Amino acid sequence: MQARTQTLWQRILGIDRRWLYLILFVNIVTFLVAPIRMPASVSPPVQKFHDEIEKLQPGDLVMISSNWSASTLAENQPQLEAVITHLMRKQARFTIISIEAQSRDISYRLAERVTKEKGYQYGEQWAHFGFVPNLTVAIKGMVTDLPGTIKQDVRGTEVSKLPVVQGVKSLSDYKMIIDVTPSGTVPIWISYSPKNVSILYCPTSVMAAEAYTYLDSGQIKGMITGAKGAQEYEQLLTVVGLGTRFMNAISFSHVLIIVFILLGNFAMFMNRLQQRREG
Amino acid sequence: MHMLTNLMAQQTIWQLPEGSRVLLATLIVLGAFVLILGLVPVLQTLPPRGRRAIIVTVTFLAGLFFAAEFFLPVDWTAIFPKDDPKRNFLTPAIQPAQNVLQIIGALALGLGTFGLVRLHLRNAVQRRAQWGYSIVLLVSFVVMATLSILNTLAEKEIVERGPVLKRAFSILFDYTLVQLDAAMFSLIAFYIFSAAYRAFRIRSIEASILMFTAMLVMIGVVPLGAFISYTLLGLPEGASPEGANFLTQLEHSIGLPKIADWVLTQLNAPAQRAIEFGVGIGGLAMAIRLWLSLERGVT
Repeated sequence: MQARTQTLWQRILGIDRRWLYLILFVNIVTFLVAPIRMPASVSPPVQKFHDEIEKLQPGDLVMISSNWSASTLAENQPQLEAVITHLMRKQARFTIISIEAQSRDISYRLAERVTKEKGYQYGEQWAHFGFVPNLTVAIKGMVTDLPGTIKQDVRGTEVSKLPVVQGVKSLSDYKMIIDVTPSGTVPIWISYSPKNVSILYCPTSVMAAEAYTYLDSGQIKGMITGAKGAQEYEQLLTVVGLGTRFMNAISFSHVLIIVFILLGNFAMFMNRLQQRREG
Repeated sequence: MHMLTNLMAQQTIWQLPEGSRVLLATLIVLGAFVLILGLVPVLQTLPPRGRRAIIVTVTFLAGLFFAAEFFLPVDWTAIFPKDDPKRNFLTPAIQPAQNVLQIIGALALGLGTFGLVRLHLRNAVQRRAQWGYSIVLLVSFVVMATLSILNTLAEKEIVERGPVLKRAFSILFDYTLVQLDAAMFSLIAFYIFSAAYRAFRIRSIEASILMFTAMLVMIGVVPLGAFISYTLLGLPEGASPEGANFLTQLEHSIGLPKIADWVLTQLNAPAQRAIEFGVGIGGLAMAIRLWLSLERGVT
């Protein structure tokens, strides 16, 4: 009975949330499959990230800290894929470490797939150090004695016998650390890693806002923010990866949210106006 | 003194000698095991005040070790001229201490798993409310753990990675766990959409500023913002040329990506820095309270 007396504005304000879910779902699916490609404007942090990796010489050693699980796959996977692609182009050696139990398998399988496509050799040009339960302790250990701290890679080979880290004694022998993470792990890397090793950061979008202070201070040399940053990075690498495919849906979802926020506010004003008129 | 200097130079105080390393390590592990097993009943018979005293002492000594290692003069050679100038007498003990911390971290995982399994086993055996879910959890846990262990052993080439293991692990990990986890998290987008629609109302000047800033950033950071600014509106991209007049500079600065970047670097970063300073000082105070066992809950 009460529903019949509701005005249009009241109905808009009280719209069932399931309709909102459906609208968002249709919007995401449409723009995921739509063959629209919108070029991104490359943001300064992404450009800095790219330039920093460009400075690497063939054979330089990079540590990738991959700490994401499947829950943030949509943002961290495109980042990690793009970063590994770029490192392989520069012929850099890299090792991966995970402080997230699930990430140990996800990042290993992802790196195995991406490197296999480009013929990068495990053990010779890259390796995975597996899962460590405490990042602070692991970093502090690696700073003094890397082979003694990590001991074995995921395949059970002693780290000291891996050609990719031959002669490496500590983290100081690395050129760069890249933290791909949805958690606040980058301050730990900044605090404990050697000062001669530059740090690059790949956070999820929600974590990026906190990192601008480190970018300002130069403690982070560059940043790829979520899937959006991955798209910009793919654009710089001239590849079409997951970031590019996801960005249309994300772009238009942002628009949809803004349209609905405006609609909600407009309906609220009109409703108030109508109530005032009716006394 | 001479003997002590020699011992430190060889690092044998904290690290086992090469010769009988396995035997010594086994004896130490067994000794520690017996000690802990013996300590548990002793601790349980102690009154709470006695227990607290032990915990407070151990916590303080553990904290003191790391603080002392960090703060003690690096130039130890004034006392031990032959020693490495980059370390003090506690430095060689850091690596074994890190290993102990790693083991404690791994034990915490084991403890969590044990607690989870015990709780759900009890649910299932006593047929408590929704015990069916506990059965699902236990079965999933056992199957996933078994296949994960086998997969890890296969990676280390200890067992053979047959097609059945490869397929079964892939189905469970790649096509079930990863997909379920990703789907669960992606639901947040729907809640955010619904919450933004209902909660983002202009009820004050502050709320209006917040809302319009959020909108500018939301559009500015995605490719659509660049498309609107540089393709639709035809604004110039990139930095303005040197010596350009005010209008040209303005044109180069009002693209949506530029505005979003300005908000993030010039407004957001200082605010974040202030917050982080506060959090840092709070963290330091909390660390000192924990070290000195001034926090509640130390029994």
